[in-house]
Amino acid sequence: MKLKKIKIELTWYSFIILSITTVLVLVYYPMLTSIKYSFYDISMIGEAEKFVGIKNYKLLFSHSSFLKALKNTLILLTISLGTTIPIGFLLANLINSLGRGKLQGFFRVGFYLPHIITGATVTMILQVVLKANDGLFNNFLSAILGREISIGWLSDSNYSKWGATLISFWSGLGYTILINLANLQSIPTELYEAANIDGAGPFQKLIHITVPNMKSCFVFLLVTGVIGGMARFTDLYIIGGNTTSGAPNGSLQTIMMYIYQFSFEKMEFGMASAGAMVLFLITLVFAVISARMSGFFKDPA
Amino acid sequence: MKKQRIMKAITAVILLAIMLFMLAPLWWAICLSFDETAIFVLPRFSLLPHKPSLFNYKLANATADLARNFANTIFISIVNTVTSVFFALCCGYAFAKGRFHGKRLWYFVFLSVMMLPFEARLIPLFMQYKSWGTLNTYWPLILGNFCYAYGIFFARNNIAAIPDSLREAALIDGAGEWKIFLTIIVPLSKPLIASLSILQIISNWNSYLWPLVILRDRSMQLISNAISLINVTGIAGVSGEGYGPKMAVAVIGSVPLIVMFLFLQKYIVQSVALSGIKQ
Repeated sequence: MKLKKIKIELTWYSFIILSITTVLVLVYYPMLTSIKYSFYDISMIGEAEKFVGIKNYKLLFSHSSFLKALKNTLILLTISLGTTIPIGFLLANLINSLGRGKLQGFFRVGFYLPHIITGATVTMILQVVLKANDGLFNNFLSAILGREISIGWLSDSNYSKWGATLISFWSGLGYTILINLANLQSIPTELYEAANIDGAGPFQKLIHITVPNMKSCFVFLLVTGVIGGMARFTDLYIIGGNTTSGAPNGSLQTIMMYIYQFSFEKMEFGMASAGAMVLFLITLVFAVISARMSGFFKDPA
Repeated sequence: MKKQRIMKAITAVILLAIMLFMLAPLWWAICLSFDETAIFVLPRFSLLPHKPSLFNYKLANATADLARNFANTIFISIVNTVTSVFFALCCGYAFAKGRFHGKRLWYFVFLSVMMLPFEARLIPLFMQYKSWGTLNTYWPLILGNFCYAYGIFFARNNIAAIPDSLREAALIDGAGEWKIFLTIIVPLSKPLIASLSILQIISNWNSYLWPLVILRDRSMQLISNAISLINVTGIAGVSGEGYGPKMAVAVIGSVPLIVMFLFLQKYIVQSVALSGIKQ
């Protein structure tokens, strides 16, 4: 009897044992090591490890370049989410108002198309589009405003954050619309029918029915947006000419670029790990909020 | 009724204008890639190339072995998709239907992975692979896929919805859990497998930072890294910016996913939307 029970246990564990090993060796062990490194002075790993307490953190927060990278990251993600989510929501409402059918499918696919393109390619294309001279975007602005516009969207540090936002907006809008649309369509239609009987106008319906029912959708987009935005790297690394300098003039250096610089260019792994911990803690706060709001850790049994 | 139709038409026109505005960069990039005049200076916007030719594609092809980078990316995408989805299904089955000690603990352990950003463990992970002598190989890109946390979560929820009666009937017939899994659960999970595979392919095609850290040889690189390298080093034999050839590289780099998207758009849109709806 006992033997049979053990056999059942072993059978179930045979389904998950490889994943368990992986999660322990390649996720939790390095995560703990990362925490450890952030309290150590490490020039060459394994050779000169020395416990230094919170020295790395003190150094980190006295580094003006780290504070600047942190600030850049937060500004970039705020303006990026602050534009993409509301505009995506409005466009999703317009698309939804067309009613289900071919026309709706057409717009859904058309708007989504830029999002399917690989990040490196998007950056390459938009670098040309956002060029100061002869770039498509400045040409468009010049035509509308009736005077010559030659803003260096990605080469002038006064405008680079907006230029970088145009990139994330262009590639992220379709995704935001898609998620908004899916959630809009899961709002029970009875709510709108009842409002029609009460004689509510379209604006009242938007404010009193749509927006409250979309709360979890907004939270989802906000939280995943923050988690992704905190780790923003690829496009800004490419704009900086495949360096972590955050060109132009350091205005686009994010935390992740700072971490990369300190680990793979300066070989100061202790400092880099302390930076990674800051990234981790900010992300964790948002992840926990999202998990609590969505009831994520439900009992699996 | 008539008023409603007019409103709908106006909405459609507004949406169309915004959509064309959003798609203009893409169209322009394609135009430039076929335009022989787009080497040193950017030609003015036009709906069709000023001087159509395949010249840029020849230059792009001569600069880099993009076919090689393509093959690498396809190889990695296939291996990673198959392994991550298969093991996610295995775990999903165990957590949905299994009865064993530590089930809740391990499920929690896997779910928590979604809260730990990969970037926070990048440095120790790099050191670990370095000490194993696997830098500049594909192992670091593949091994992590044996625990695809989101996939496990998604698979558990889907498999839990499969009625127990099917399993019980098979158990009475004397089938083992693995046989039930392979002959009943996997065939019933086709939509789940399709969704997870699509998400995996897209994410593999987009991965940039980790391959950048791991792969050093140009011949081993994946397409994203190869493209960004060309973006900086420029086009062989062209002293200027080489806009046209660069756009040719960009177009080549995005063609596979766009083609996949146009064929599977219904499923892709569904899979992506599903990942953003509260379960």
